[in-house]
Amino acid sequence: MKLDCKHIWRELSNYLDGEIAEEVRREVEAHVAQCKHCAALLDSTHNVLVLVADERRMELPPGFNARLRERLERELATSQPD
Amino acid sequence: MGGCVPAMVEELTAKKEREYRLIDRVLSGHHEDFHELIAAYRRGVYLAAYDILQIAADAEEVAQEAFLKAFRGLRGFRRESQFATWLFRIAVNEARMKLRRRREVPLESVFPDDEEGDYTPTMLADWREIPSDALLREETRRFVREAIAALPERYREIITLRDVNGLNIAETAEILGISTGNTKVRLLRARLLLRDLFVERTNRKGKAQSQRGATP
Repeated sequence: MKLDCKHIWRELSNYLDGEIAEEVRREVEAHVAQCKHCAALLDSTHNVLVLVADERRMELPPGFNARLRERLERELATSQPD
Repeated sequence: MGGCVPAMVEELTAKKEREYRLIDRVLSGHHEDFHELIAAYRRGVYLAAYDILQIAADAEEVAQEAFLKAFRGLRGFRRESQFATWLFRIAVNEARMKLRRRREVPLESVFPDDEEGDYTPTMLADWREIPSDALLREETRRFVREAIAALPERYREIITLRDVNGLNIAETAEILGISTGNTKVRLLRARLLLRDLFVERTNRKGKAQSQRGATP
């Protein structure tokens, strides 16, 4: 079975996660090899996800860890896990 | 990539065992080990809360509450799922409760809830890939932040769980309380929309530059 562009879009996320049947994976790769739109879609989605993960790793308000630690310490000193 | 899988599994098992040891220690009275137990999840829990609440102070409060709840309820963690899954579920529930208390209209109500519908990616005239060498620029990072902020809440939430915190599909589904099938569909839509929002921003910039270039 040959996959058209719409099928590729539907499988894109599963493909990136490797959650895809071997046969479908081969179909996706064959399609992407000759369709530059789908190739660009796949690459750019992958790149954006890498960027997002990277960007968000830096995103904590200043002092967050210290405030959390302080609050936890009060709790850990005075109470017990149920 | 295939060769890495056994090493990854080993690493995950080691992480799980380390977490279970820490949990045992906390439960046997070494409360200070709780800090170590949660250290790897501070950012992720905050981001998950932020995605739902969109206000830094509220997200911080919810994250703190979630960690306190996790400590108090630690005996209730039955080790059937990952500690991370259990912890994120607490955080997501806390954040949703806070949102309800705020009585805000959830963002998602503005967007049609048609997980089954069809999707067409934005086919821009100057279609292009996002080149790897652009990835480190400050401006690119700003576009990323803008694109994330422009996502509907439910999509931001799933991207944070899956793509930022690296939880798998089953864990993500468990936290969100939806089926794995729906998780996959929502994740697909979230990723494609995020890409569209990002590409729109980079293309807009490209257009503005070429227009500026045309004026003498």
